[in-house]
Amino acid sequence: MDQALSATDVSVSFEGLRALSKVTLDVPRAKVTGLIGPNGAGKTTLVNVLTGFQKPTDGSVSLDGESMIGVPPYKVRQKGIARTFQSGRLFADLSVLDNLEVTGVGLGLARREAAKKADAMLEWIGIAHLAERTAGGLPYTDERRVAIGRALMLDPSYLLLDEPAAGMSAEEAADLARLIRRIIAEMKCGVLLIEHNIGLVLNICDHIHVLDSGEVIEVGPPSVIKASERVRHAYMGTQAEAEGAVL
Amino acid sequence: MADRPSILERTWSTPVILIGILAALQLAALAVGSGPFNQTIIEIFIRVVLVVGLFVFIGNSGVISFGHIGFTCLGAYMTAWLTMLPAIKKSKLKGLPDIILNNKLAYGWGLVAAVIFAAIAAYVVGKVLMRLSGIAASIATFAVLAVIIQVYSNWDTVTGAQSSVVGIPIVRVVWPYFLCAIVVVIVAYLHQISRSGLALRAARDEATAASASGVNIPRERLIAFTISGGIMGLGGAMFAHSVGVVTPDTFYLGLTFITLSMLVVGGMNSLSGAVLGVVVLSIIIQLLRWMEKGVDIGGASFALPLGVQEIAIGVVMIVILMYRPSGLTRNRELVWPSNKLSARGKPNAPADGKTA
Repeated sequence: MDQALSATDVSVSFEGLRALSKVTLDVPRAKVTGLIGPNGAGKTTLVNVLTGFQKPTDGSVSLDGESMIGVPPYKVRQKGIARTFQSGRLFADLSVLDNLEVTGVGLGLARREAAKKADAMLEWIGIAHLAERTAGGLPYTDERRVAIGRALMLDPSYLLLDEPAAGMSAEEAADLARLIRRIIAEMKCGVLLIEHNIGLVLNICDHIHVLDSGEVIEVGPPSVIKASERVRHAYMGTQAEAEGAVL
Repeated sequence: MADRPSILERTWSTPVILIGILAALQLAALAVGSGPFNQTIIEIFIRVVLVVGLFVFIGNSGVISFGHIGFTCLGAYMTAWLTMLPAIKKSKLKGLPDIILNNKLAYGWGLVAAVIFAAIAAYVVGKVLMRLSGIAASIATFAVLAVIIQVYSNWDTVTGAQSSVVGIPIVRVVWPYFLCAIVVVIVAYLHQISRSGLALRAARDEATAASASGVNIPRERLIAFTISGGIMGLGGAMFAHSVGVVTPDTFYLGLTFITLSMLVVGGMNSLSGAVLGVVVLSIIIQLLRWMEKGVDIGGASFALPLGVQEIAIGVVMIVILMYRPSGLTRNRELVWPSNKLSARGKPNAPADGKTA
């Protein structure tokens, strides 16, 4: 697969503790790839490896065939791999517009150009009315949307979303799903979606990887994941729970 | 949406107001015209330069530096070397290169050389230091200050070591200091609204997210460190010409403490805070100085014990930190009432019925 963001046999150890062990994963363009797994399975560690924040102990990461090992995070973003964070991490003292502008200037635009792109992006996401607000005081869902907008500035080739639906209501999660579909359809961006909301993942992902204790235990389209006994066992605990509330 | 005014159009009122405050001081000096009063105003302008210099790095990056006064020292000695009479230099500072020993430049060139020299030094130091962050960076900057002061305190033939370097041409008119302060405020403002300034403030709020947005943090910090180093050098040169004497001790902990206090009291993250901190604390210092000298109240002379001034500054600082930790300006910029809505750092207000 040449048009993809790929991790091959990636292992990460923290002082002897194995966070990831021989993980292989491809994020193709214009598709949603899901990454699920219980807490502590190593999902965020994998995102950190893919974005240059964490150097793998072993294995390789490549972007459309080019090795990304040792590339610092800001250069990873300049090469077109964008990410969001579990905790939002907006620039609290800056306005929403400036939050998006930062990515623009980080990618080499003049402020005026960056502001124009930021305005267009806010409008595209449907939060243009927030432009002048200080990012620090935003409600949770708006914060998430601003973070996604900031990541989407200047059409990245890949977007890694780290638990974007955490804490959202069913309705808000449905909005998010619509937004992700639009990102795929209109920007042809490859999306890696890390989520605890299994319903959302099964609903919009083309392909899903299941991590448990740092290892990939199952890969496949939603139907395979749904049917997998191993996934139920590792991730959802009991069968009853899997068929009941969670799905 | 396309008609959003540019950042300059939205924020220009801030430097205009700040320059207005400085101009009021300049006018006061012209109106009063007495030597001691002029000297007080000159001191304020020098402090504005130093504190705004600190702001350019500390305010925008959020990294506290204890080392900036080292660059002030570099600037002060640089202008001393260049502008003193060759005869004095030959007797006291024999170790200087011949070209400096035998020549004398106008003080304007001394200021320019001080800026360039201090900026280069800051660039070299920053190249190494800007990879650090948080408390490690702060302690490292303090180490830089200690190194600079030690070199200047011991390099007998070039700096005169502990003994004062006397004979620097004194500039007693106020306007050159006023002009320098204006230039520095404008430079700081332009840096603040530049791409680099925006990226740096983002990194101050959330370093990880800034990297993930394509910001090369060490690079943006180095730019600010170099500019602010140059400004600190200018402040040092202005100081040298305001009193005509420099010693390494002048540029050590005392000046570091007072300038950092002014920045914190005013509001570390805003340019307005830097300027207001200087003005407010300078006024308090001046009042206390007068009272230390003695005031006549109803025929009886009343004087505060010496040292009250330093204690009072400490107390003001503690009170501000307790009740207003983000400073007098609460880290906001002063803006013209008419464009308050579009200013940076404004409080959250409901969307003003704008069409999306």
